[in-house]
Order: sequence, then structure tokens, then C-alpha cells
Amino acid sequence: VTVGNEFSRRTFLSRGAAAGGALALGAGASTLLAGCSSSPSGSSSTTTASGSKPGVGSGSPVRGGALTMGIIAEIDGFYPPTNHWDTNGFLYANAVYDPLMAVAANGTIQGYLASGMTSNSTFDTWTMTLRPGIKFNDGSALTSTVVKTNFEALAASALTGVALKQVASVTTPDPMTVVYTLTGPNPTFPAGLTTQVGYVVGQAMIDQATSNPNSTLIPVGTGPFIYSQWQPNDHFTCTRNPNYWRNGLPYLDSITFKPIPDTTQREATLRSGGVDMIQSVDPTTITNFSGSGGSGYQLVDTQTGIIGQPTFSYIMLNTVTPPTNDLSIRQALAKGMNQAEVQKIIGGPPAKQATGLFLPGSPYFSDTNYPTYDPAGATQLVNKYKAQHGTPSINLMTIPEPLEIKVVQTVQQMWEQVGFNVTVSEVEQATIIDDFVLGKFQAVTSYQFGAVSPDLNYVWWSTTTISPIGSIGLNFTRLDDPQLETAMLEGRHTTSQATRVSAYQTVNERLAKDLPYLWIEQYLFSEVALPRVENFNNLTLPNGMAGYSFDEGTMFLSQTWLAS
Amino acid sequence: MVKYLLRRLLQLAVVAFIISVLVFLLVHLLPGDPATIILGPNDSPHNRAVLFKQLGLNKPLIQQYTTWLTSVFHGNLGESYLDHESVTHIISTGWPIDLELIIISQVIAFAVAIPLALVTSRRPNRPIDNVSTTGTFGMLALPPFVIAPIMVAIFAVGLHWFPATGYVPFTQDPATNLHDMILPSLAITAGSIAVYYRLFRSDLISTLQEDFITMARSKGLSSRWIMWRHAFRPSSFSLLAAAGVNIGALIAGTFIVEYLFALDGLGFSLVAAVNQRDYLVVQGITLVIAIAYVVLQFIIDFVFTVVDPRVTRE
Repeated sequence: VTVGNEFSRRTFLSRGAAAGGALALGAGASTLLAGCSSSPSGSSSTTTASGSKPGVGSGSPVRGGALTMGIIAEIDGFYPPTNHWDTNGFLYANAVYDPLMAVAANGTIQGYLASGMTSNSTFDTWTMTLRPGIKFNDGSALTSTVVKTNFEALAASALTGVALKQVASVTTPDPMTVVYTLTGPNPTFPAGLTTQVGYVVGQAMIDQATSNPNSTLIPVGTGPFIYSQWQPNDHFTCTRNPNYWRNGLPYLDSITFKPIPDTTQREATLRSGGVDMIQSVDPTTITNFSGSGGSGYQLVDTQTGIIGQPTFSYIMLNTVTPPTNDLSIRQALAKGMNQAEVQKIIGGPPAKQATGLFLPGSPYFSDTNYPTYDPAGATQLVNKYKAQHGTPSINLMTIPEPLEIKVVQTVQQMWEQVGFNVTVSEVEQATIIDDFVLGKFQAVTSYQFGAVSPDLNYVWWSTTTISPIGSIGLNFTRLDDPQLETAMLEGRHTTSQATRVSAYQTVNERLAKDLPYLWIEQYLFSEVALPRVENFNNLTLPNGMAGYSFDEGTMFLSQTWLAS
Repeated sequence: MVKYLLRRLLQLAVVAFIISVLVFLLVHLLPGDPATIILGPNDSPHNRAVLFKQLGLNKPLIQQYTTWLTSVFHGNLGESYLDHESVTHIISTGWPIDLELIIISQVIAFAVAIPLALVTSRRPNRPIDNVSTTGTFGMLALPPFVIAPIMVAIFAVGLHWFPATGYVPFTQDPATNLHDMILPSLAITAGSIAVYYRLFRSDLISTLQEDFITMARSKGLSSRWIMWRHAFRPSSFSLLAAAGVNIGALIAGTFIVEYLFALDGLGFSLVAAVNQRDYLVVQGITLVIAIAYVVLQFIIDFVFTVVDPRVTRE
């Protein structure tokens, strides 16, 4: 069983969604440069006791030791085709499995289980070569046949199938080669294999899932650790894989993940020595462990160093139901919301002004002309609308979570001050996703869009994923903007980085003009560790390149050690 | 007495049955369904229909209920739709936590409330009585979710006496288990202390004004003897009734404490299952809670007959 809040949203709206966007509908041609910054992953506002950079090991690695990590929530299982992996899910997955591909610190996509991927000139056929000599923890070998069987299970799944729709066929010309034939060109195809659909499980696990889908599946993976004990909501322990294919790794003897849902208690458990490190999506963790409060702790967060797009929190507007189908109303809502005040309520470190999908420093960042706080201008627009249609009424929806409720109540006051009639409604986490896909909302708080490549978010804004209200559509806002579609396709098609940058700047500007989303702030992830936890933010990929260590809350712990 | 107890037992069986029906219906009235949780937003009506069939959710409610009830009588409460963990296993790992929380917190509550009431009721409105009454009044106003973080900040983060979170089963390591359970138990003890103390104190004060107490005093019996032998039992009826209700409410009613201290008890599992629309888990846990509650009330009824034999005669 799983506690709802963190789990569901992250599952459906960030990572799983990114996977869907990566492969589902893509077409185009460009390089794999993606939206990347060259800075190493994660910012860090404190240093270790020894003065080294947080999360980067100093001295020689030490073998042995048991690491305990306090995580936000429990996952619902280890099987990629059917289980919903959020940030916590990827932490577990990175322990017991390996992905086919991974993101490098420079933003490029590199092989992990694969030694590499190459495409044909039209980017509609991708050939992957697997590394030789890799075995699953049950002794079976990683072969192209297993990768293909994994693909078939993923493609048949309602959860992950959409992410693989673009793959027309998979063939295995030899035991180490997998050929993906796509229905159209997609130069960013390998980026999708860094997500949930890129994790490979052993044939025995697939066989068990097929023969007895209702059984609890024990992970069979190639990962640095082996499943040892899992008591949902209490702990998951994995122990060192003595036959791990990456020489000398992992350093730790075991890792125990302990779900501690309450942020304050998770922090207190770290401070009282109950765990060695914690993860958090609460921005106050960053302030709590900065300055004097962070003395003696290592803090890594996503304030800087994001590769691609960060996750943003925002208010999503329905663009086909009145009154938010009227652009002037959406403009009034944007002008009537004091973003800086809302950011203060959320807390945490001072947030940057959010005007679009990208942060300053990203090649895709541009001045979007997103409306600034202008209550007078908002009132004027509302009055104009009122003269024709009467007072506009907005239902602002959120989940029953205290901070979100506080946010929507504040926004409610702001909008009422400029002339809107605003009601607030709370919808259970379990059903709000239904409302999103069916378009049954007017305005709703949400967060999404963290992705190493902007292509991965294609499905959320495409005109091809719009459905009528009441039918399932992944374009939740139902925004129908042909210029946006053209720009997204151009970004995917082009092989010119300049054209790609220009295309995604256009995407950003179209969203600022159409206003399906009222931006609030970047959604921050953080990790805090005791000084003895070394090298948790310093991933080296199998090919020797520096990896993207802290990817929106997830990390690889195979190269982490505990200082003696 | 046997007839009385049999009648109560029959009533409790009827109550358990009614609760099982109500729980089943209420769970299915919740908006949302397991298919949405399992399949996510990318599903199709076809896939949802297939999954509904797999889970047996396409059958009429009455058929689903009878199937479930038959399984229950065979000792099978089903399994989680999400992680396929058996409901029996979820309950078997969760109930020891709830039981421990209840036992430790109630032992502490009685150990504090009863002696304090015995002392203060002998001399009402003296300083010690005023302080105790005010103090317990304050305890009533402090819910566990306020007490818990304060205690954690002082005893876990500040003094490092107890862990902020963590749980080791009693059977695995009794000493560590008790060490881990002290703070969570204390967090829910305060309210119990306040209720027990105030009820018992007022009943004792009332009893001590009865004629038979005056008679005992006139016979030259010691105050201690009068208190324990003559006043204690007739003053404990309200305390007993309150304990029954209070302990019943604590069965899986400690969700907040379990959430804060990351204890995978019944309450925590139940709320998580409700959020996930994991029907069988919700039904199974609720049924067990209901049965535990009615059994507890049965035990309390039985104790009443021992403490006050007039109950059976009435």
C-alpha cells in the first residue's frame, strides 16, 4: 500500500509522464543535445565538515557499511510495466536494476546497460548494442532477447504502452544487438530509455508476471544491489550484488530505504541519527539545512544545475470550458495572481520569477512576455468580460493537502479582489488525475514538466492529444494552438541546434501567450546527508563520463560509500 | 450471567455483520476506483474493462459482497489490488503496532491518572488538585500531532534519548522495540490521562460523600482502607466505560501518530488504502477493527458484571 500524495502526482505527472512524452508521439530530427546546462547536477548550499563539495567523495572509497535513507513515500512494486515509479520508485530501481541509457552531466544521453545507440540518417531506426558479460542476479545473461521481451511487456501495458507507441517493431539480429524501428523519425528516442521504460528486468520476473500477474514480484535485475527484504511502508533493504558487472562497485554492503512521509519527522530522524540521509520535495528542507541549520550536513538541491527543464508548480486552466476558454479571462487570472506572494506561502529559499518552462541559463530560456502582477489590468479585463457575460465564476481545485489549500485560498482572495467569483474545491488525490485526463476542471493546482529534453513533454501540449471534455486526453488543458504544435514538431525534426533552440523558445512564448498554465515556481527537490555519506552526488557512467547525479530527486547510490 | 453474556455476544455478531455490509457499501460509494490507480491516465476504456473483470469489480455489488464474505469465513481476506500483498499479511504486520501503542499508552495513562485522582480527591481544591486539574485540562487541549513534534524536538533531536522514527518488532528485539515505542505511546497518552483522571477524581469525590463512607469513617477505618476497599470500586464505573470507548477509538485510530512516527500500523495502512481505493484492504482492515471493537466492548461488559453484579440483574 502506498500513501497517496507524493506518490500519485509524481508518478503520473512527472516521471511517468515524461516517459510517455518521450516516445509516444515523437517525430522529427535533431541532435541529442537536448536542453542542457553544462553545470554539474544539483546545487549545494552547504559543505561537508571537511570542506569538500557536498555529495562528492573525498579520499579513497571505503568498502562496507549499511546506509539508511529516509524517503518520502512507499512505492507499489518493482515491475516497470505495471508499477508506478515516482522519485522513490527510481531510487529503488537504481539500486536493483540498471537503465539501458542514462543522462550524462553534459546533458547528452549515454549508454548504461547499452554500450551505445546509433541511428540511421532519418532517425527512424535505432540500433542498440548491449554491453557484454552482464548478468542478472539470478545468473541469467542480459541479451537482446531479454530486452525485447521487456519491450513487449512494457508495450502491452496500459501504463507504459503509450510511451512506446512510436516503436513499430523491435528485432534482435544478434544476442547483443537490438534494433528499434520507429513509425517516424525521432532523434531523441534514446532519452526515453532513461525513464521507466528503459529499466530491464530478468526473464524470470517477466515469466512470473505473465503466469501469475497477481503475485508479488521479487526484482530480478542487473543492479548493484539485490532485493533482500521489503515490508511496504516500513522498509526496503537491498544488499550488495557480489557479481555486479561494474568492477569494484558497489561500495556499500546494503541500503535500507525507510519511508517517512512527514517532512518534519524525516528531518528530525536525520538530525537524531536515525537515518544517514533523506530526500525531500518540501522547499523548507533547503532553508532548514542551509546556514547554521545545515552545519554538519550535506545538502544537494535542484535550485541550479538542472539538465533540461525543471519541474514547475502551476495552476492549470481549462481552455475549452467557459469562462477560462476566453483568453482575456486567462490573462486576467494571470495578472490577478501575485506570484511572489504565493511563492512566499510555499516557503523555502527565495524563488525565482517563473515566466515559462525554462530557467535562466537554459538555451531555451527567453523573455516570454508572461503577464506580470497587475491587479488594475486584471480588473479592467474582468469588467470588460462582465459587461458581456456577467461575473466570471472560477472553481479552483486542489488536493486536500494543507499547503496546497493555503495556496488556493490565497489565490482565491487575489482573484476575488479583481472581480472574479471564486470557489475552492478539494478533490481526493485518487480522482483528481481522472479529472485532469477527462478535462473536468476549471482551474487546478498541479506540478509537472521536469524532463531532460523538452521533447519529452510533447504529449501534454500537442493538438493530437486533445479530446473532448469527458474523453481521455493527455492534453489536459485542451489547448489547441497549431503554432505551438508546429514549433514542437520543428524542435523535434531539426538537426540544427539553433533552429531547435528557436523552436522551443517559440513553444515557451506560445504558452505564455495562450496561458494554459499560470506559473507559480520551480518545484525543488533536495537531498540531505550526514557528513559520513560520501559521493552520493558524483555519478560516473560506465563509459567514464560524468553522469547526471541528482536528477529531480533521484540518484544512483552504487558509487556511494560511508566514511570510516 | 451466562444468559446475559450470550445475549450480548449475539448482539455483537449482528453489529459485526451490519458493519461489514456498511463498510462494503461505503467503500464502493467512494469516488474513483482501483483501475485508475493501477492503470494511470493513459488507460483506455477497454483496458479498464479488462482490469475490472480481472478484479471482479464488474459483478453486481451483492455478488461481490457475498464472494468476499464467503472468503472471509474461509480465512481469506483477499489481497491488495496494487502490490498483491495479502490483506491478512498487512493486518498481521500492522496489528502488533496498534496493540503495543494501546497497551503502553493505557498503562501509562492508568499509572498516572489513578494515583493522582486518589490523592487529589481526598483533598479537593487544594493546590495539588488545582494544579492537576489545570494540567490535565491542558492535556486535553493538546492533540497528538502537537505533542509529537515537540517531544521529538526535545527527546530525539535535542537529547537523543529516543529515536524520532523507527520500529523493530517486539519479537525481534524487545528492548529496542520498547525504546522505539515510548515517544509514539506518550504522544497519545496525554488525552487518556486527562479523561481518566478527571472522571475518576469526580466519581471518587462523589463516592467519598456517600453515607457508607461516613459509616466506614465512623468505624475508625483508615483513610487508605476506605479509599481502596470502599470507594475505589463504586467510583470506577465511569472510568471503565470511558476506557472501553477510548481504547476502542485507539484501535487503528492512531493514524496521525503512526504517520508522524512512520509506523506501519493498521491506521496508517487503512488511510493509505482508502487513498488508493484498495477496496479489499479497506474492507479487511475495517472488518478486523470492527470485530476488535465489539470484542473489546464485550470484554468491558463482562468486566462490568464482575465489578457491579447489578448489571446482570438489570
